[in-house]
Amino acid sequence: MGLAWFLVYWKWRALRTEDERYNAAVRFWARIFGLNFGIGVVTGIPMEFQFGTNWAAFSRYSGGVIGQTLAMEGMFAFFLESAFIGALIWGEKRLGPRTHFIAAIGVALGSWLSGYFILVTNAFMQHPVGYAVTPNGSLGLTDISAFLSNHWAWIQFAHNQSAALVTGSFAITAVGAFYRLRGTHLDQASLYLRCGTVVGLAASLLVAFPTGDQQAKMVARHQPVALAAMEGRFHGGPLADISVLGQPNVKMRRLDNPIQIPGGLSFLANGTFESNVRGLDEFPENDWPDNIELLYYAFHLMVTLGMIFIGLMALANLQRLRGKLETSTWLLWPLMLAFPFPYIANTLGWMTTELGRQPWLIYGLFRTSEGYSKVVSNGDVIFTLIGFCGLYFVLGLLFLYLVGREIYHGPQEEAAHD
Amino acid sequence: MIELWYALMALMLTIYVVLDGRNFGVGVLHLFVAKTPAERRQVVAAIGPLWSWHEVWLVSFGGVLFVAFPRLLAASFSGYYLALFLILWCLVLRGMALEVGGHVNDRMWHSFWDVVFTVASVLLAILFGVALGDLARGVPVDPNGNFSMAFFTNFGVRGNVGLLDWYTVSMGVVVLVFLTAHGATYLTLKTEGPVHDRCAIIARRLWIVMPALFAVISLETLFVRPALAWEMAGNPVAWLGILVFLAGAVAVFTGLRGQLERRAFIGSGAMIAGLLATGAATIFPVILYSTLEPENSLTAYNTSASLSSLEQALVWWPFAFGLTCAYFWFISRHYTGKVKVTEDTEGSY
Repeated sequence: MGLAWFLVYWKWRALRTEDERYNAAVRFWARIFGLNFGIGVVTGIPMEFQFGTNWAAFSRYSGGVIGQTLAMEGMFAFFLESAFIGALIWGEKRLGPRTHFIAAIGVALGSWLSGYFILVTNAFMQHPVGYAVTPNGSLGLTDISAFLSNHWAWIQFAHNQSAALVTGSFAITAVGAFYRLRGTHLDQASLYLRCGTVVGLAASLLVAFPTGDQQAKMVARHQPVALAAMEGRFHGGPLADISVLGQPNVKMRRLDNPIQIPGGLSFLANGTFESNVRGLDEFPENDWPDNIELLYYAFHLMVTLGMIFIGLMALANLQRLRGKLETSTWLLWPLMLAFPFPYIANTLGWMTTELGRQPWLIYGLFRTSEGYSKVVSNGDVIFTLIGFCGLYFVLGLLFLYLVGREIYHGPQEEAAHD
Repeated sequence: MIELWYALMALMLTIYVVLDGRNFGVGVLHLFVAKTPAERRQVVAAIGPLWSWHEVWLVSFGGVLFVAFPRLLAASFSGYYLALFLILWCLVLRGMALEVGGHVNDRMWHSFWDVVFTVASVLLAILFGVALGDLARGVPVDPNGNFSMAFFTNFGVRGNVGLLDWYTVSMGVVVLVFLTAHGATYLTLKTEGPVHDRCAIIARRLWIVMPALFAVISLETLFVRPALAWEMAGNPVAWLGILVFLAGAVAVFTGLRGQLERRAFIGSGAMIAGLLATGAATIFPVILYSTLEPENSLTAYNTSASLSSLEQALVWWPFAFGLTCAYFWFISRHYTGKVKVTEDTEGSY
């Protein structure tokens, strides 16, 4: 999702300036985008079906509502992406530059629309709106505009899409730094470093503020027990501290070895240092998230990584403005090595939101323990889980090999078309 | 409203089978008709840059099933658990073969993915055929509207049935031959040179055996679920489907004789569409017939979502349908006529 708009921008620059550098960049990154997309499509399709195969009770209960956005994702977003992806990667000669540019926009719009619909689905599970319970006990949609404009969805969308841009720009920066350090494809390297660091800094800042901040305030307002678990806050009260370090000890109901900023959590959650933040002890224990330790670390590592991203990108931009980025070997190394961390931070963010939602599938309405497919035996589940682990492991290796190979070969500088 | 959504679902599934069925057919033939790297690119390019758009019809069908008939989705997906995962894995492998098969210019790489492509396509055609057979035969739906089906039980068609029995397997074989003929007809239309000639011969041979296969499977269906014959006789939509099917058959026959490749391909698409329309109209309103007790059967009426959900979905669905047809038109007009591999930027398409 992050890469898609880079392709659009470069394609646009190529149309405007007729500078071959931009076309070479699009061709190169479109191949990498294609690999991401290919693996994303084939591994994503099973997820759509797993609602029915593994979460039948949940699907039966909520299909009338979340089925809407899943169907819309297919009908509006997947069709858009899949119609244009082949043309974007392989159709440059056949389509001509203008249609090729439209294909790039189609793919970018499609992937962002898909993100929106899936986040509306997730937002409904986090903060249900626009529904009613029908006579047979399942959920029905009553207000589609309330459902689609769920404020949780918009904040989550902004946060998630900024994070996607961080991921994309870190990958582009890393490839630029790699070529610069190796002394190959220098023209392309400086383009990647320039675009990657500018977008990288802007997106890293956006992830933290306002989107991340708003997300935290939203959790504080609607899921106070999740916030308490994220911070390892076992006892409530005013002037809540935010922990920089520390290990939650659920058994003893305390945070071990804490290093805390006084009043930080109150400020984060409510905007004032003195305000009251509720602790886990104020909620019944069967409403606590199931895995408090994992949730705590996921949240804290995500925030730490986000801060590092801002720092690293700020430094890179400082050097760039001084005209020294391409010669600062000491900075190019960390920029190159940093590319996996946005992926990790994204995963941690999803762990935070999904572990925080537990023990609910739909917050306050439907518990995870009621949602699974009761007719599917454990043996069948483990059989398919093993199958998926094996298949996806091989796909992961294949992906790394093919993307590594593309990056190693690098962009073709000379025009490939007649 | 429920009838309308049933029809829309049938429409989406039909579009999927016509489009991706052709790709399965091409996949089945791939190993046998493409002998050189250039021919292999010709075949893959014939499926074109839109194969994932074809597959999205299945995903969107799943989505619409979710919103319109959530209880059907819950019961059938969890009941067909293992079969569905086999299909998904084959779809993953088929997609990978198409996406990365041309990525590395190496003989071993190509031959590996060629085999993956063909094997996955064969399995997919058979599995979809078996699923169709299960739909006609029925599945062991219990009084709570659930079922859990093993791969096989006693290979019989009554009572506690499994996924595979003599009827569903023969349906799988019929669908495999049908889709392969469909794919061969398509390749004849899209290719030139040796690939074209091989496909033309294969298409002719396969279409000759099809009438016999149709006759056998119709008799088997009559034996497995005799009531369907009466349902069909009294259903005008089913007759319309049969009419489309027969018109398609005539088009295939005359198209093959007169070497009118476009007519033959449209005809084979019409045959698939007609057959599915007949089936969908005949079984309505029952969707999953219970082999244990007919009153356990899952119908369009007892599995649909609430009326308000259906109405809200109808607001956006036609809009999305129109949009996707527009994308298809916009892109596919660049890819009409015979495949010319040289016109595409290097890659598998």
